[in-house]
Amino acid sequence: MNKLTESEETLVAMAGIGVAHRKGTLRTLLGSCIGVALYDRKFKIAGLAHVVMPDSMGRNQPVGKYADTAIPETIRQINSLAGGGRITLSAKIAGGANMFSHVSPNNTNTIGEQNIVAVEKILAAMDIPILARHLGGNAGRRMVVEAETGIVQIHIIGQPIAQL
Amino acid sequence: MTTLNHKQLETLSLICRSGASDASRALSKWLDRDIQVSLDQIEQVSLDAATELLGPVDATVCACCMRISGGVNGQLLLGFDEESGLMLCDALLSREATSNEWGELEISAAMETTNIVGCAFLNALAMTFPKATHSPVNSGDATWIPTPPVFVRDFAASIMQFALVDQACEFDRVLVARTLFTIDGMPVSWRLLLIPDAASLEQLARSLR
Repeated sequence: MNKLTESEETLVAMAGIGVAHRKGTLRTLLGSCIGVALYDRKFKIAGLAHVVMPDSMGRNQPVGKYADTAIPETIRQINSLAGGGRITLSAKIAGGANMFSHVSPNNTNTIGEQNIVAVEKILAAMDIPILARHLGGNAGRRMVVEAETGIVQIHIIGQPIAQL
Repeated sequence: MTTLNHKQLETLSLICRSGASDASRALSKWLDRDIQVSLDQIEQVSLDAATELLGPVDATVCACCMRISGGVNGQLLLGFDEESGLMLCDALLSREATSNEWGELEISAAMETTNIVGCAFLNALAMTFPKATHSPVNSGDATWIPTPPVFVRDFAASIMQFALVDQACEFDRVLVARTLFTIDGMPVSWRLLLIPDAASLEQLARSLR
């Protein structure tokens, strides 16, 4: 677990999960993968999961790799930082690009889309509202989540930084 | 998780060295300079480590990607940082360090170079592979077919995610063959990466002696 409590920045690796409390920022790089940012406004706790695949099919490791295991684990880590306090989460999601669409085989053509569908379905089942989306396209993204505010910044090369 | 043993990796290295040797000859002829492509390493690395193979994760890098099918299915990537990529274009276009951004001409030069390097590499692999293996992987089909290259300029980790996804869907460590380049004896930051997909990795594990 990547855990921050001060004004540090941490990189959330592919298939990784990070959480930050009050002043930290969480950063990840996305291609076809999905960054799922979860935020509790009251405790100012942010969580970021870098989801690679939509479904674990029963596999439980690495927990951050699959949408159906990464999201519950991120919530568990946020709960742990909240110290037993009741949390109320909202989500912002980004990624799911298809960077080489015309050289992709059929299965990877849709991997980004499958990830998006899986993440949205899981969040809906958990009654976690998605406040913002920055999805699809054919370019990679740098996603940065601020624990103090819950603001998410998205950087695509050659474009202005988007704020979610 | 499919893991190749030391002996299998050695055999695969031998095959890829043959590819690198042919790629050297083709590239030297194409650029009219002494270009050496050498196999750096074949290894199975974690997803995390693999995302840094083209550079620091949020460095802006360029890559030309060819999808390959036939003997082994997967991705072949020629990646370079901006400076090295533009240097390649200057060498190819016989210019004295005048390229400072990726225009149509520079992108076309990079893609054509990838085509030449990639095809030379794959042709050598197609010739060598059946002799080094004992499976149906290639016995009846020595043709390795690449798609035309696609150029991208993006974050290093974002590009690698795409290249890795075929293996990452099944495994937590990925097999990557990577090469080093020199021009007239000077090392340059170009990387040729061969990344088989999950099914091909399993085939390799069964077939390599």
